[in-house]
Amino acid sequence: MRANVPSLAWTLVRTDFKVRYHGTIAGFLWALLKPLAMVLVLVGVFSFVFGAQKDYASNVIIGILLYDFFSEATKVGLTSLRSKGYLLTKSAAPSWIIVATSFSNAAVTLAVVASVYLAVISFRGQVLTVTSLALLLWYLCHYVLMVVGISLATSVLFLKYRDLHEVWDVLIQAGFFVAPIVYPLSILPEKFHIFLYAWPPTPIIQFVRAVLLTGQVPTFRAHVYLSIETLAIVLLGTWVFGQFRGRVAEYL
Amino acid sequence: MNVLNPASVPLIEVQDVAKQFKIPSVRRESLREHVFDLFRPRPFECLRVLESIRFNVMRGETLGIMGRNGCGKSTLLKVLCGIYQPDAGRAIVRAPLTPILELGVGWNPELNAIDNTYLIGTVMGLSLGDIRRALDEILAFAELERFANLELRHFSSGMASRLAYSIAFKAVREILVLDEVFAVGDAGFKARCEERYRQLRAAGHTVIIVSHDPRAVREFCDRALLLERGTIVMDGPPAEVVNAYLSLLGPDHVSG
Repeated sequence: MRANVPSLAWTLVRTDFKVRYHGTIAGFLWALLKPLAMVLVLVGVFSFVFGAQKDYASNVIIGILLYDFFSEATKVGLTSLRSKGYLLTKSAAPSWIIVATSFSNAAVTLAVVASVYLAVISFRGQVLTVTSLALLLWYLCHYVLMVVGISLATSVLFLKYRDLHEVWDVLIQAGFFVAPIVYPLSILPEKFHIFLYAWPPTPIIQFVRAVLLTGQVPTFRAHVYLSIETLAIVLLGTWVFGQFRGRVAEYL
Repeated sequence: MNVLNPASVPLIEVQDVAKQFKIPSVRRESLREHVFDLFRPRPFECLRVLESIRFNVMRGETLGIMGRNGCGKSTLLKVLCGIYQPDAGRAIVRAPLTPILELGVGWNPELNAIDNTYLIGTVMGLSLGDIRRALDEILAFAELERFANLELRHFSSGMASRLAYSIAFKAVREILVLDEVFAVGDAGFKARCEERYRQLRAAGHTVIIVSHDPRAVREFCDRALLLERGTIVMDGPPAEVVNAYLSLLGPDHVSG
């Protein structure tokens, strides 16, 4: 059986969307409530602590939206093979497509919220150049690739280790404070930064803030590091996936 | 370049395929158990499901596979379909293969018949355009036009199976693999399935049928295999295989 990859990928994305939101606008609005509530609470609370920082609210909003995407997409990615097992035990659907399209719902949420956010800040006088938007897209491409790389590994490992999702939940929760979302990275000694940057959301959040808020484009070297980190995650994820892919149906 | 006449190259070549499943006596399914029991030996039993299976299927041939429950038929089909990988040997399939296993395909119960048709159709290799064009025909063949917008969880198993066959008959490109095809639906649907199946055969499609039904194997197959405890005990004309199968089942089943 040879699947038609574009058609299958599109159908999987559509299926996820329909199942999650029952095909209704109201269902979709519910999904936006979570990041929105989070933004309100955190901006409200931490503005007292870091209120003197310039653009504090904007920094938090960007951090939360990007982190929320990461958390949502990797959680869905981790369970993607198990939840779509019904396609794998009775047909030889290419399992990698199932993993690689699993971030789609999180991406739709991010796209909608980010568009609204960009519209608001440009209305309030922030200048958005073509370069900054192009860089934003470039970073998001890296982000998606990192998510796919992580999901490829966790989705197959989850079939073997059934408590992996709980471990991942804890990591995601702890990682919220590893990434500089509610605090500025500058309050930590510089020698720790390299470790924080290894956590995928950190470079993305920092780079996006830089191009959107301060208009300072990170150095060429920083971009090279980002691409190397992304490539490493994708290669590692693909390798782990390759170790188990032939036995996916047996573990289900 | 293939210098052999394509007609003389088997479309499916199964070479000494073996498959076993390790069944741990103590099952470890979590990271916690793996970490805490790291140095404790882990006993398991091996269940040999298939052993040195070897056969060919030529283009346009219809092969029947018979055998008692638990003899390895379903595992063999899953190896052919690429769902399981053999532990030893190879299964070479030289053309696209469309399977319907264990009375159906994987449905998403929360989606309606149309969305599930798109989902399963694309899994079976159809493009979105193909499905859009064939949708009415697929639903009509399954007699489900009235239930097109009903979620699959409200379907009876018969209705779901009819839809599965209807999609697979549309999606088949070269090889069709059917597990218990003629056990589905009422007499009318069965007759239409058989009719459609005859057309596919006349058009030169290669078919593998797993069935417990002596009539189906005698009537539709050019050749048949009998599987017993994971090995092929007979490979020959359908009538002889059916008789051997019936005698395996015991004296009550031997046909006259």
